[in-house]
This record gives sequence, structure tokens and C-alpha cells, in this order.
Amino acid sequence: MSERLRDTVYLVFMTITVVALAALVLAAPDRDDRVQELGSRIRCPVCEGEAIIDSPAPMARDMMKLIRQRVDEGASDEEILSEITSSYSGAVLLDPPAEGATLWLWLAPLLALAGGISVILWWRAHPGGTPGSAKSATPSSPRRRSRAIAGGLLVTLVLGAVVVAAGSALQDREGPGGGAADLDSVDPSLVSNETMEAVIGANQDDPSIDGMRLALAERYFRAGDYRSAFPHYLAIAQSGTAADETAHTALVRLGWMAYDGNGEVETALELLDQALDIDAGSPMALYLKGLVLWCGADRPEEAGDLFQAVLDQADLEDETRTEVSDDLAAARRGEGCA
Amino acid sequence: MSGRWLRWLGAGVAVATVVFAVVLASRFGADPSLVPSPLIGEPAPEFALPTLDGTSTVSLSGLEGDIVVVNFFASWCLQCRAEHDDLVATAEAFSEQGVSFVQIAYQESPAQTLAYLDEAGISPAMRHLADPGSRTAIAYGVFGIPETFFIDADGVVVGKLVGESNALILGATLDSILGGDQPGETVTGDTMQRPSP
Repeated sequence: MSERLRDTVYLVFMTITVVALAALVLAAPDRDDRVQELGSRIRCPVCEGEAIIDSPAPMARDMMKLIRQRVDEGASDEEILSEITSSYSGAVLLDPPAEGATLWLWLAPLLALAGGISVILWWRAHPGGTPGSAKSATPSSPRRRSRAIAGGLLVTLVLGAVVVAAGSALQDREGPGGGAADLDSVDPSLVSNETMEAVIGANQDDPSIDGMRLALAERYFRAGDYRSAFPHYLAIAQSGTAADETAHTALVRLGWMAYDGNGEVETALELLDQALDIDAGSPMALYLKGLVLWCGADRPEEAGDLFQAVLDQADLEDETRTEVSDDLAAARRGEGCA
Repeated sequence: MSGRWLRWLGAGVAVATVVFAVVLASRFGADPSLVPSPLIGEPAPEFALPTLDGTSTVSLSGLEGDIVVVNFFASWCLQCRAEHDDLVATAEAFSEQGVSFVQIAYQESPAQTLAYLDEAGISPAMRHLADPGSRTAIAYGVFGIPETFFIDADGVVVGKLVGESNALILGATLDSILGGDQPGETVTGDTMQRPSP
């Protein structure tokens, strides 16, 4: 090969390489990349420490749609982020702004670096000693240096292992929220409230989630946390896909919460009637409707009839029978409810 | 590099580390949603939203010259239900003083919100709007509901209530705005988030 030919081949090869590299560097990220990148930088405002791209929350999904639309409209990343922060403040960014209290988060690595460099410089200036023991410094020896390096490596390895283990543990904890869990294989009694919320959020369109939703709502209800229970019962009652028994329980609970939590007598009676439409003989619905009529509407006679209907059922527990009997007697005597 | 200089550097790093730890520790337990709204003192984000029954559109600019109270609510929110009667009463009490009340449904279908309002009671003093895609909720930086924004006659956000309000708080806030003050942001209680639709 002649020298000229070799130069030409070399020139062509270099040109192709430079053009290819320039194209790689200069090529604008495509639309989906930009949307994902922006979604990963914005904290879901209704979640805890989660980016909107990772969150199944309806609000996060609406924010992703907004970002997608703004990208399609030609808005720059800065414009989109500025729009979001002008509404939510810089706190909505997962990378906090380098100002105010969060400035320390950005300075921390620099401070750590400065600390590390000062230690190294000290060590180099006083080869035999350790920081803070200058007066006792002794000439260095290869064995001491090796020991120091080995110690540093050991500490690094241990710290690394701890970080990896912690990360792995966190991933395990967050696993069920990813939506990949087989809902039928999840035993709600073994799952924390937070995890159940995550699973429900990730599977909101799946009708089989109603069972877990009811289990979680019941936990809240029994703990007296009506505010947390309420949206779950409401979702079941409005889903139209819940099994009769599940919908009935949700309606009974909603009815009682409307009365006990908000003093809404008419709403409570309406919800309890809906529950009785599903199961006309439900002792719980009959008894609670009786209580609402007696305590909230001052209609003891109608309440008494409902209490009697409960007592007419054969399979009542003794404790329930005693309680209802006492209430029936008091209502029949025209007493106010206790 | 002198040992003295290094000692000072080490001491500086130690002090900075302690300050850093204190700053971090002070944020533990703080609710990240309780950040002051950057909208206070700023022009209110414009909206033009359909009414819940879909028969008309209401825009903020169309209410220009009024003090506008914008309340984000939903049927699944207990605090919203609890404050509903007081909102209605306040809207009716201030309707002759150039105050318009707008309720914007948050994360809920218009049909479900309308069903709730049928039960809770509708007042002609209030406008009820849908918010497709939560665009207006996002523009107002809503973290949870109820959240209530107060916009003065010049279209500037001058107040915000986070959590359940009552007639006393609503009335006092409006009196303050009518008197030319900027009441700012007040947290009156918890807000709710819908875990799923």
C-alpha cells in the first residue's frame, strides 16, 4: 500500500470516527428519554421520597402526562422544571437546590473530600504518625504502611458491604409496590399498612385488589383511623366489581363512619339501606341502622324493631345478643341511647 | 503545608460535619408537603375549567375584580365533607361583597363529585368545576386536600388554608383580604390524598 493511499484511508477513518463521535455527543435525547429524565428528577408530591416516574399515584401519573405534553410542545427542561417549582417550590425536586439549608447537602461531599485530603497530607507530612499524634510520630516502616493500607481497605469493604446490604434490604421492602406481586399469593395479615398501600396503588385497576383494600380499611377502621379507612371503603363501594360481601361490609362501615365520624344521619341511613339491599338480614347493618335511628334521629320505636330483627336471628354470639337486648329494652322504654 | 494549617482545616471539617448533622436531624419528622407555597404574593395561575355538569366553562380571568376563593375538594375527603357546610355558609355570606367561591374537584370523576354534592348540598353561591388531568391542581401546587386559595381582586394569591377550615377561619381570612391585608398561608389541619381511584 502506497503512503498516499495509507494517508487517505487513515483520513477517511478518522473523519468517520470524528463524525460518529460528534453525532453521539451532540444528538439530542429523544422525547421519551427527556420525559423519563424529567420524571426522575421530580418528587411525587403525594408520596414519600419517590420520583413521579416511579410512583403509581394518580397525581404522579397526571404530572407525567403534563411533562410529556410540555415536551411535545417544545418546552425546554428548564422551562418545565421552572413551571413545576413555581407551583410546588424547589422542595419538589429530588436534587435539592444548592441554597438555604439544602446547601449543606451539596457541600457535604466537598467537606468530606477536604477532610480526606487533609488526612492524607498529614500522613504524608508525618509518615509514622496518625492525625492528632504528631508528637509520638515515629519513622514509618513498610509493615506499618501495609497495615494502614490493609486497614483502610478492610474498612472500605465493610462499609461497602453495609451499603449493599442496606440497599438490598430496602429493595426487598419496596418489592411488593412494584406491581409484579401475585395478588392472590399475598397474605394481607403479614403485610404492613405502608406496603399494602403501595400494592393497592400499583394495582388499582385490578379487581382482585378489593380483598386487600378491604383488609387494610378494616385495620384502619378498628384502629379508629376513619380518615385513612374512608377512601378505601369508598373505592370498594364505587368500584362496581367488588363481591357482594365485600361491598356490603364497605357500605356498613361507610354508613357508621358517616354517623359516628361526621354526624351525618341521613347519609348514614342511606348507606346502611344500600348495605341491607345486598344482605337484608345482615345483623351488623340492622343493628347499626337501629343505633343511628335511636341515637341520631330520636326514633327509638323504629330502632327497637330493628334490634328485635337482629335478636330474631339464631346464630348470634352471646355477647352481641346481650348488648342488643339491653339496647332494645332501653329503646322500648323510650330512653336515650347511652 | 504546615501542621497548624492542617489542624485548622481538620477543625473546620469537624465543625461543618456537626452543623450538617444538626441540619439533617432538624428535618427528621418534618412533613415535606408543609413547604410554604411559592404562589403567595404571585399572580394566580389562570384556569378555564368545565363545570361538573359540563354545560359551561369558568375561567379565573372571567372573575376579574372579585376576590376568588378556590377550594380543592373531593367526595372521598373527610375533611372536605366536614368543612362543606361552612364553605357554603361563608360563600353565601360574602356573595354580596364581591367574593366568588370556586370548588375544583380533585382526583375524582365529575359524576362521583356531583353525586356527593347532591347529597351534601349545592349553593348557587358556589361554582363547581372539573379538573381534567389535574392541570389546575398541579398549577396551584396542591399536595393534598382540602386546600383553599384566596386570590385578591388584582388576581394575586394572598392566602392559603391547608386542611379543614371553618366559617370562623374563612370569614376572618376574607375580612383580612377585604381590609387590604395579605393573610398568607395557614395550616389548619391534616390533608388527605387518594391512595388510588
